Amino acid sequence: MENAAPNNAVTVNIEWLSDCGGCHVAIVDLHEKILQVLQSVSIQRCPVLTDQKGYPPARVGLVSGAIRTEHDRHAAEEMRKSCELIIAWGSCAVYGGIVGAGIVHSRREIFDTVYGNNKTTLTHADPTSRVSPFEQSVLPLDRVIDVDLYLPGCPPHPAFVFDALIALVEGRTPKATKKTVCSRCTRRMEKTDVDRIRSASEGIPDPEKCFLSQGYICMGSTTLDRCLSPCPTNGVVCTGCAGATMQILTEPNRDIRTEIAERMSRLTAIPRDAVVREIERTAKSHYSYTMATSMIGEKPTFLIRKWLADAEATYE
Amino acid sequence: MIEIEIHDQSCRGCQLCVDICPTKVFEYDAAQAKAVIRHAEDCIACLSCAYLCPSGALTHGNYHVVKNFYRDLDFSQKMEKFL
Repeated sequence: MENAAPNNAVTVNIEWLSDCGGCHVAIVDLHEKILQVLQSVSIQRCPVLTDQKGYPPARVGLVSGAIRTEHDRHAAEEMRKSCELIIAWGSCAVYGGIVGAGIVHSRREIFDTVYGNNKTTLTHADPTSRVSPFEQSVLPLDRVIDVDLYLPGCPPHPAFVFDALIALVEGRTPKATKKTVCSRCTRRMEKTDVDRIRSASEGIPDPEKCFLSQGYICMGSTTLDRCLSPCPTNGVVCTGCAGATMQILTEPNRDIRTEIAERMSRLTAIPRDAVVREIERTAKSHYSYTMATSMIGEKPTFLIRKWLADAEATYE
Repeated sequence: MIEIEIHDQSCRGCQLCVDICPTKVFEYDAAQAKAVIRHAEDCIACLSCAYLCPSGALTHGNYHVVKNFYRDLDFSQKMEKFL
């Protein structure tokens, strides 16, 4: 890509480990604002924009994705060596993200499902070339290299990416707040006499009223706003993709399920314990973005394997 | 005196702060469908409201910070690094 940045521009390397690629699309979603970024930032290495395979020395490194394979570990270490400042970019790099849900299965189980028993492949054998060997478990980026800054989000809304890049150029603190997805949602949060939890596919939710008030489990109140709340404002419950709030991450006795239950039981007639049990039953969905980070996965009350076994045992 | 601030755009009018405050600092303004601070002088900085607020709309200032018994030290060191 032709880069019009001046000689004193901030040099940036970008790397893509195990993730879906959505974080890179967030750069493209800057649209014409990217021209403003490129006036002061020089993108040297970026898998979707440049043909640079090596790791030239850079001021800032953006790393998206979790460590799932040996190649991921190697690439992360090369980024650390080549960049002065590393930003864990997106929920996969910060917490393990969706890729992190792999911690509840062994490598053998994953290979058997994807290659061995896959009905759409013929070989039914593990690949012997082209696929990098798996690490023992999925790890967030900071378990492998030192990370200087964290920008969660799935992907972080381009507004936050833009602000982070411009703030680094200008040498100021980015504007990202510690508020939640609820802070930008516009649904009416009111007390109701709803007395049972509804599954996401049940009925048609009132578009003006808060999901919690209607008995739908929405993770907006326990999730950092790095998205500008598009899901609840467009009729979909928040699935917690930007990860848990600071009070949940800092305090071992607070958790996603108890915090949602606390609020939901005060807004509706549903007992607190019923909400906790329901989130445990569906834990693989509700903790999918954050379970690989020690801040969630190592909480003393986080018993995902037990919850999954219980759900399996009572599956109809 | 303890300073309390409600971020106006973030307040969703759920009234949870009104319910949980032990000293009845807040009242509900039905016309605006938002919480308002009526008796800031009664605040004891228990921070129950800030913890319960779904939006994170409540902030307190000028109070004696009491550290929690249980902290995830590993994460507490990272918190300032969150963009």
